[in-house]
Amino acid sequence: MAIAVHPGTEEQGAPPAGPPTPPPPPRGKGRGVGDKSPLGLSWGLVLPSIIVVAVVSIFPIVYAVNLSLHETSYMQIGEFIGLQHFIWIFTSAEGQAQIARSLIYVVGSLVIAVPLSLALANLLNQNVRFRRVFRVLILMPWVISQTVAALLWKWLVNPDYGPLGLGETPFGRIDFLADPVLAMTLLIVVNVWISYPLATILCLASLQTIPEELREAAEVDGAGPFRRFMQVTLPLMKPTLFVVAIQLTLLYFNMVTLVYTLTGGGPLDGTNLLSLAAFKQSFEFFNLGLGAAYSVVLFAFNVLFGAAYIRLLRSERNG
Amino acid sequence: MADVRTAPVDTISIVVPKGRRRRRGRRTNPLIYVALVAASVFAILPILWGLSTSFKSESATLSDSGWIPAQFTLENYRLVLFESKIPLYLGNTLMVAGLTVVTTILIGIFGAYAAARFRFKGKTTSLLLILMTSMIPGIAILVPLYFLAVQLGLYDTYAVMIIIYTAWQIPTVVWMLKGFFESIPDSIEEAGRVDGASHFRVMVQLIFPLAIPGIAASAVISFVYVWNDFLIAATMISTDDKRLVAVGLYNYLSQYGIVWGQLTAAVVISIIPIVIVFVLMERRIVAGLSAGATKG
Repeated sequence: MAIAVHPGTEEQGAPPAGPPTPPPPPRGKGRGVGDKSPLGLSWGLVLPSIIVVAVVSIFPIVYAVNLSLHETSYMQIGEFIGLQHFIWIFTSAEGQAQIARSLIYVVGSLVIAVPLSLALANLLNQNVRFRRVFRVLILMPWVISQTVAALLWKWLVNPDYGPLGLGETPFGRIDFLADPVLAMTLLIVVNVWISYPLATILCLASLQTIPEELREAAEVDGAGPFRRFMQVTLPLMKPTLFVVAIQLTLLYFNMVTLVYTLTGGGPLDGTNLLSLAAFKQSFEFFNLGLGAAYSVVLFAFNVLFGAAYIRLLRSERNG
Repeated sequence: MADVRTAPVDTISIVVPKGRRRRRGRRTNPLIYVALVAASVFAILPILWGLSTSFKSESATLSDSGWIPAQFTLENYRLVLFESKIPLYLGNTLMVAGLTVVTTILIGIFGAYAAARFRFKGKTTSLLLILMTSMIPGIAILVPLYFLAVQLGLYDTYAVMIIIYTAWQIPTVVWMLKGFFESIPDSIEEAGRVDGASHFRVMVQLIFPLAIPGIAASAVISFVYVWNDFLIAATMISTDDKRLVAVGLYNYLSQYGIVWGQLTAAVVISIIPIVIVFVLMERRIVAGLSAGATKG
């Protein structure tokens, strides 16, 4: 059950729920604790977590929805204007361009990150010398913050002083931050750079649940490494890959810090994504109502994908 | 009960294969090494370039584009450590991240234990509620949190950052610790109960100490999250002296024009502690992330 390594597996809490919940209660040995679970204590233990997440995460969402339906002027909430902010986001040229850019960014990053992570996980799962060294090096970007990643990459691709010689290439001077298309390319590359370690870790965990015997059996049957991968490994990893893809999609779609610190949305708005617009409208232009509307759009997208995620896990479990 | 419940345990033990798969005299394809080296280079190239720049004098950063500095200097580090606010920011970050980890674990560990061990009415719903909040993107609730912080007089305080980070880390920590508790056999609790200890005492005195490796892994993961966050630290704080390091680094860039030597030295200083922790705890972190990766 490869999928089991992921969070959310339990979320449905469906039939085989909590550990001490085997359907017929009396089980001589083993899960005895659960049978006389103290209701008061249980709730007392869970409640603090619920209160904190309710106050900091759930209540603000309601607040954001309310705010998005109102005119605002700095911190003043004005009159109710219904869906006007939302209509603007979806019908204005600016809003549509932001949606399109978000899609390019998310899909572009996914297309690179998922195969890359899959490949790296397979490489790191091989029996090689210095495996631990390779693992530490390859997973290292996980600890690098988005801000630092942006700074380091900006400096690395600097056309005048960087080490890559981008100032004088056969194609002329390449300044990634001066051209909208190149800026988006760079943004995608750096985004992949900060996010592939987590995806690789998830793939690696799933890979290691595949019994070696299966691959050996395929080998005995005369399957080469490539066929073994395509016909044994890949099908077994499919559920994990879906989960990874969904998690990455959410991460990318909500990405603010990296975009803000790497390109700031420019040049010429070429990397101005929905998520960045949510941030800039709110905290640079102080259009809090419109900013909140952007936030709600982002949230709705997250719910959609979250639902897909849970459905996927559920069908995995039942099927 | 060898179903999903035991999964996190499997993960932990499997992620650390101790010579389980010995090579059977087969030689590893050299191409694998080529690929691994290429991937490693991609992974650390920007870091190495930053490291190299940090040892160059400010004028050399704009003339010497070699990987090995022609002339080593520690001047940038001296400036960053003794004449900038970076050490102050690092201290702030250490404090906020540390307190966040403590509150998150203190709150989350009980919920995780109850979720792992007790059955009670409303358990599924409450767990679902907690885990679902990890799907609410930070950016979606930033404006309301800003409003709330201002209205409650918490704006521009360390407390507001700690509260928000705690809430955002609780789902991850509850999930990871729950998996960990499930890997601890029930018989320990039963023995404790037979000896007449209360549920609460059994939990705190017998089980929590056994969960220390799991607690350590989730603590590190939460710590790294706070250490690296920009969004909350940038929007909830306006006083320069209260800034966290991620924001401080970014402002460094805009404040003094671009002084790459100092900036990269500051970056190196800010990532050293976290890189060390990562190298030391890589296995635990990887195991923890594979069991509990919720909020990126």
